[in-house]
Amino acid sequence: MKSNKKVYYLVGTVLLVLFAGFSYSEFRGALTPYVSYDKAREAPRTVQVAGGLEKGSNSYDEEAGLMRFTLVEAETEQTLAIRYEGVKPANFEDAISIVAIGEFDAQAEEFAAKQLLVKCPSKYQGLESVETKTYG
Amino acid sequence: MFEALSHLYLPGAVTIWCAVFFGLASFWGYVQAGQAGQASQGSLAFARRGYYFFAGSIVLSAFVLFLCFMRRDFRIEYVYQYSGLDLAAHFQLAAFWAGQKGSFLIWLLWAALLGLPLGRSAGRDEPTVMAVYLLTLFGLLFILVRENPFVMLEEAPFDGAGLNPLLQDDWMVIHPPIMFVGYAAAAIPFAFAAAGMWRRNTSNWAARAFPWALGGFLVLGTAILMGGYWAYKTLGWGGYWGWDPVENASLIPWLLGIVLIHGLYLERTKGRFRRSNLVVACLLYLSVLYGTFLTRSGVLADFSVHSFVDLGISGWLVALMAFFAFTSMYLLLTRLPGVQTSTNEDPFLSRGFALVASAVTVGISAFVIAIGTSAPLLTKFMENPGQVGPEFYNRVNLPLALIIAVLLTAVPFLTWKGVPAAQLLRKLLPSFGFALVATIVAVASGVESLFHIVFVFCASSALAANLHKVIDLIRSRTLVTSGGYLSHVGVGIMFLGVLASSAYDQSAKVTLEQGVEQRVGEDLTLTFVRYLPRQGKEKERMEVKVVRDDGFTYNAYPKFFLNDRTKQLMVNPHIKKVPLQDFYISPIQYEPGQPPGVDHRMQLARGETATIEDLTVRFIDYNLQNTGNPSVALASGDVVTLGADLEISRNGQVLPATAIYRFSSFGQVETPPIELPGGGWLAMTGIHPGVGKVQLDIAGIESEPQLAKLSIDVTRKPLINMVWYGLYVVLFGGLLSTWKRIKGARQVDVIAAKTAA
Repeated sequence: MKSNKKVYYLVGTVLLVLFAGFSYSEFRGALTPYVSYDKAREAPRTVQVAGGLEKGSNSYDEEAGLMRFTLVEAETEQTLAIRYEGVKPANFEDAISIVAIGEFDAQAEEFAAKQLLVKCPSKYQGLESVETKTYG
Repeated sequence: MFEALSHLYLPGAVTIWCAVFFGLASFWGYVQAGQAGQASQGSLAFARRGYYFFAGSIVLSAFVLFLCFMRRDFRIEYVYQYSGLDLAAHFQLAAFWAGQKGSFLIWLLWAALLGLPLGRSAGRDEPTVMAVYLLTLFGLLFILVRENPFVMLEEAPFDGAGLNPLLQDDWMVIHPPIMFVGYAAAAIPFAFAAAGMWRRNTSNWAARAFPWALGGFLVLGTAILMGGYWAYKTLGWGGYWGWDPVENASLIPWLLGIVLIHGLYLERTKGRFRRSNLVVACLLYLSVLYGTFLTRSGVLADFSVHSFVDLGISGWLVALMAFFAFTSMYLLLTRLPGVQTSTNEDPFLSRGFALVASAVTVGISAFVIAIGTSAPLLTKFMENPGQVGPEFYNRVNLPLALIIAVLLTAVPFLTWKGVPAAQLLRKLLPSFGFALVATIVAVASGVESLFHIVFVFCASSALAANLHKVIDLIRSRTLVTSGGYLSHVGVGIMFLGVLASSAYDQSAKVTLEQGVEQRVGEDLTLTFVRYLPRQGKEKERMEVKVVRDDGFTYNAYPKFFLNDRTKQLMVNPHIKKVPLQDFYISPIQYEPGQPPGVDHRMQLARGETATIEDLTVRFIDYNLQNTGNPSVALASGDVVTLGADLEISRNGQVLPATAIYRFSSFGQVETPPIELPGGGWLAMTGIHPGVGKVQLDIAGIESEPQLAKLSIDVTRKPLINMVWYGLYVVLFGGLLSTWKRIKGARQVDVIAAKTAA
């Protein structure tokens, strides 16, 4: 009976180690880091970039279902051209900040976004929006 | 000195201070009673009374905040931030817990109320259990002292900022409070475990904590089910589960609850797992604190759709976590070595082995989900912080689910002593038969990957084997004991539903032109019929006709509207339930073809005429029949309607018409357009009282009418109902077990009294 327990622990440990290795590689594979535009241009993997929409830079090709726009980083004023295939997000022009997830397409020299997260103005959250109106 | 007080709404603030005072008094009483042991009836009575007043203060506190919402008292900052004049009464409840402060208050309210039955159920252990439980409540209470919900603004605003329209939903009224009951209940097994370790007597905490652990598991499961249903049905997120940090924060304690329940079952029936149960009870509570920290401190603000701003309580939440982590660690390190536990040697094919293996597997699942959710924190100190997407969770959990399915298949026919493999297989034969049929059906309907085929087989055999056992138990008239197996049946159903609806959904994003048929997928023809304007309480809708090649036809009405107040675009998908699958149609974008914009603008004084192209418009006179005296209406805040009688002539056709200009003192303006003979639109968009002229905008008289375009997401989700039904069965099984374990817990004191006598 004693040997029984040893076998359990041994098999259990092996399985755990295998699963840990599997999870670790999945974790590495699924991790999409936030990077700067320069880094995004170098990295041949899925990353996230964030920034504001450059005014008037967005165009939408309805036939192909392609949207193109330019992201601007507020502090460094660097820009990055983005291509997004899909339906144009609603209220896109009003976006305060946009996060694009995808990878850089070196041939077209633009960032091919698979997913966009668009933050639009909302006066709900946050105390800074407290305003007292005066009438009369 | 009193300056700080002028910024607080005193009736509310006083209730919170009272809660602190009575809570501390009650805590002191319970500690006294706990140290003195049996003889201290005085301290115990004092502590109990203190607790009643403590709970009463918190009830009052929540009631005062609720009244402030009902009175729309915008002097109070929290009410101002989440409510507004136009918010319906029942959404004032939703506004109550829409923000951080209110949600901590509702959490504390449930926790304080749960403490009342908890004290009774703890029997002779009441003093220590309640002392620990009060400690966990102080954590929440001090957050409220720091972030007082009764802070007032310097000036009373005219109107509140309004509740986020996404949260103006019936589910928002009911889902969060249930979630917080579950969170509040998570502290209870911890209180029993920690109190037991403190007393150095961990022999009977399991029996007492068992029904509470089951109850907490049930409530949290119900809340998770509702959240998933809400996300799927009205928010249009495309699915019921997105592995969002806020969702994960509720899933991790739920999974640990499953581990704890199975551990407690082993402890109660076989006297095993005594040490690990104490560890799991601590982990369960810590996971709730950790999840709260992740989702409420703002550390994940960039990574979650449920973004919460940092209120400056992250430091406090870290301190809270550290306090309970160190306390748990200290107690576990010093007390565990003294805990007597029986170490049965389990053969491979035995109940004991299967239970331990499945508890460990579920625990690992909770652990990897926690790691994934913490990714932004874990990678913060690396060069580029990042997050992991949903595919990580799906891929990592799939093999774990497979192991669970295999174990669940075997469990009903295993005994503690172990059974020979041949005997087990013979008993499982009918279940395997069922599973084989299910797998053949699955393959015939398009399940391809080998892994998925194996998964379907295992999940359906788990379903069948446990159903077999439940039927046996009902035949022998012991329905109450079948709770566990019934839950396992539900798990099998759920596994099948999750696989089918997530791995085999068919989705397409298409743009439809009004009136033009379009093929979607293999067998669907969709037509965007028309846009339906708002009718009474019914919001703006799109009518889309769906025709399947076999003749099945229906009209879908997805909603797509601008919120009046914020101009935020709102989407409600339309879901058509047909046998075996859901048709899910969610609008993405709508471009109204008409009117494309203002083509011409004219300003006319009374009696003047103007001509554009072939169109002639004469402004005859103002028309005030629709309203009383405009200045009276304006002063009383009503909507004012001004009309202008016009004579429109085009190509010999003469049309008398009244253009309308409607406005309210809140600045809302409506200018309903008039359709022109021969195409085009006219609207009165302004009035210039100084010069006595009205402004008319004309659109669409020359250009070809453009077709309206609607972009939608069409998804077919096979067997998605099995996810809901499976979870219902899991929860019903849990309910039966809770019933059984409540009776078990009551016997503890009866037995103790007998042995004492």
